[in-house]
Amino acid sequence: MESDDMDYSDDDDLDDAMDYYGNEDDIDNVDPKKTDPEFFMYECLTVDEVEKVLNESVEKLSNSLKITPSLAKVLLNEHRWNSNDIIDRYRDNASNLLVSSRIKSGNGKKVAHVTLLCPVCIQSHTFDKFQNLSCGHSFCKNCWSMHFEIQVSQGISTQIRCMAAGCDVLVPEDLVLSLISRPQVRDKYNQFSFQDYVKSHPELRFCPGTNCQVIIRSQDLSSKKASCKTCQTSFCFQCGNDYHAPTNCVTIKKWLTKCADDSETANYISANTKDCPKCNICIEKNGGCNHMQCMNCKHDFCWMCLHDWKSHGSEYYECSRYKENPNIANESAHAQNLIHLQAREALKKYLHYYERWENHSKSLQLEQQTLERLKNRINEKVMKGLNSTWIDWQYLFTAATLLAKCRYTLQYTYPFAYYASMDPTSSRKDLFEYQQAQLEAEIENLSWKIERAETTDRGEIENQMDICEKRRLTLLKDFFPTTTSDMNS
Amino acid sequence: MAVNMAVSRIKREFKEVLKSDEIAQCSIKLELANDNFTELRGEIAGPPDTPYEKGTFLLEIHVPETYPFNPPKVKFITKIWHPNISSVTGAICLDILKDNWAAAMTLRTVLLSLQALLAAAEPDDPQDAVVASQFKDNYEMFCKTAKHWTNVYAKGPHKFPDFDAKVQRLRDMGVNDFDARAALSRHNWDINLATNDIF
Repeated sequence: MESDDMDYSDDDDLDDAMDYYGNEDDIDNVDPKKTDPEFFMYECLTVDEVEKVLNESVEKLSNSLKITPSLAKVLLNEHRWNSNDIIDRYRDNASNLLVSSRIKSGNGKKVAHVTLLCPVCIQSHTFDKFQNLSCGHSFCKNCWSMHFEIQVSQGISTQIRCMAAGCDVLVPEDLVLSLISRPQVRDKYNQFSFQDYVKSHPELRFCPGTNCQVIIRSQDLSSKKASCKTCQTSFCFQCGNDYHAPTNCVTIKKWLTKCADDSETANYISANTKDCPKCNICIEKNGGCNHMQCMNCKHDFCWMCLHDWKSHGSEYYECSRYKENPNIANESAHAQNLIHLQAREALKKYLHYYERWENHSKSLQLEQQTLERLKNRINEKVMKGLNSTWIDWQYLFTAATLLAKCRYTLQYTYPFAYYASMDPTSSRKDLFEYQQAQLEAEIENLSWKIERAETTDRGEIENQMDICEKRRLTLLKDFFPTTTSDMNS
Repeated sequence: MAVNMAVSRIKREFKEVLKSDEIAQCSIKLELANDNFTELRGEIAGPPDTPYEKGTFLLEIHVPETYPFNPPKVKFITKIWHPNISSVTGAICLDILKDNWAAAMTLRTVLLSLQALLAAAEPDDPQDAVVASQFKDNYEMFCKTAKHWTNVYAKGPHKFPDFDAKVQRLRDMGVNDFDARAALSRHNWDINLATNDIF
C-alpha cells in the first residue's frame, strides 16, 4: 500500500517510463477499496459451509488449549469467536477465563455430593445415575434430560445452566446431546445453538430475507451494503436494516424512529397534491421525476420547491437545502412566543427533510411503474418495426436500474442532512449540501430523459448516467459513514 | 412423568415448609388451595424495620406441569405498595421467578426471597413505575403510603387518619375505595391531582 502514497517527484525516470509503458492495464487494476466507497468484500454461505467454518475454529482452539471441542464451543460462543483473545487470556489466567466464561464455578470450592438423593426429583438413585458439571452440583440423569428438553422447548440452547440455585455454570454441548433421547429435540437443540453461534460471530449475519437460509460472511465489519445472491435482499452488514449510506447506523435508527412517531403529523400537513405555481391547477404526481410540466399552462417547475425549473437546471440546486430563518431570534421579544416560534421552526425543518425523504421514496416506486410503461411502449414500437429492435432499447433498462440506485442514495442523504443541520457551524455541512444538490439535479435530469427516451437518445442518456453515478460516488467517497468518526456524532 | 414429579416435589416441599424454623416464627406459611397440588396459598409476614412490618401478605401460587424445571407462578393477593410489585394486579418482578429460576429451588426459597424483596426493593428494575419513582424521588412519602396500604390491606398497625379522610372524600364523590386510594397514592396524596386523574 505504501507505494501508492509515493509522490511523483520521488520517482526516477526509469520508474516513470515503466509506469507509462509497462502498466497499460493500469486503469483496470485500480484498487477498488480506494476508488469505490461502497466496495465490500463478502461471501454468501450455506448452513453447511458456515458449520465447516465454525468447526474449524472449534478444532483449532480445542487443539491449542487441549480441551474438549464442546468446551471450546462454550469459550468461543462466550467470546465472540475471537480465538486469539481466548488463547491469550487462557495463558494469562486460565482459571479466571473459565470462571468468566461460565465453564467453572466462581465459588472455588467444589460441592461434594454425599447423599444419593436427587434434589430436584427428591428420589434416591444409585451412584451411576448421577451426573454433575464442573461446579460439582449433582443431579440424576433423568432430571438433567428433562431440564434440557424443557429448556430447548423454550428456545434455549447454548445458555442452558446448571440446575442448582444461583449457579451460573453453562452445560456444554456434549452433555446435553448425550442426555437428550428424542431426535426432534436434539435437532432443535442443534438448530438453536447454530443460531446462537452465528449471532455471536462478528463476521457472520443471517440474511434478513424471508425464509432465506443464506449466511453472509465478511471481515469488513462496516456499514456496507451486502446483497444476498439467493434472494436478492440487500441490507447494511453492520446493523441489518436497509442499506443507508451516507447516513450511519445510529442516525438512521434515530431518523426512522422519529419518522414513525411524527409521520402522522407529516402526512396530515403534506397533502398528496400540489397546485401549479403559475395557473394554480391541482396536480397529482404520477411519475418519479420532480421536474414537472403543467399539463394546463406548460409551466416548468420543481415539484419540491415549486420554483421555476430554470433556476434548477444548470445552476446551484437550491431546493434541496434548508434555509434557517435568520430573523427567528429577533422576531419576538417575548420568551413564550420565542419558544412557540422555535418549536414551529423545528417542525418546519423536520418536515422539510421528511418531505424530501418521503418524496424520493415515492419517486423510487413511481419510477418502477414508469419502467413498466416503458417496457410496454418499447414492445409496441418493436412490434411495429419502426426501425428499432429490442437490443436498441436495452440501454434504457440499465439506465433505469442506475437511476434507482442513485435515487436510493439520494433518499438516504436526507436523514444525514437533517441531523447535520443541527450543527450549522460545521464546514462540512456546506460541502455536503452542495454535493447533495448536484446529485439531485443530475438525478432529476436523468429521470426526465428516461421518461421521454427514444433510441436516438442513447448517447445522451449514457452520458447522463455517467454523470449521475460520478456525483453519487463523489458524495459517498466524502461522506461514507465510518464507525469511529461521523459528522453527526 | 413431569406431572408426577411436580406433585411429588410439592408434597415434599409442603412438609419442608411445615417443618421449617420460619413456620415456628410465623414468618412464612403455605397451604393447599386445591387437591391436585397445582394451586397453593402462601403467606409471608412483613419484615421488621420496613413499612410492611407486622403486615400479613397473601400470595397466590400456581405450580406449572413442568415444575420444578419451570418456576411457579406467584402473585400477591394482598394489595401492596412496593416498586417491584404491581399495585393493581399484584404481579411480581423478581429474577428467580423468571430467568434465574433453578430446578433445585423450592417454594420455601421463593417465599423467603419474596420476604427479602419486601425488605430490599429494587426501584431500578420496577414492576410498578409510579411506585418506583415515588420511592426514588420522595422516599418519605413512599414509606407513609406503604405503611398506610399495609394497615388497610394487610392488618398493619400504623393508621393515617389524614389519608383515610382523603379517601373518604373521594368515596363521597362515588369513587370506589381502591381506586380512590390508588389515585391518591399515585399523586402523593394531593387530592386535586387525584380527582383530575379519576374524572
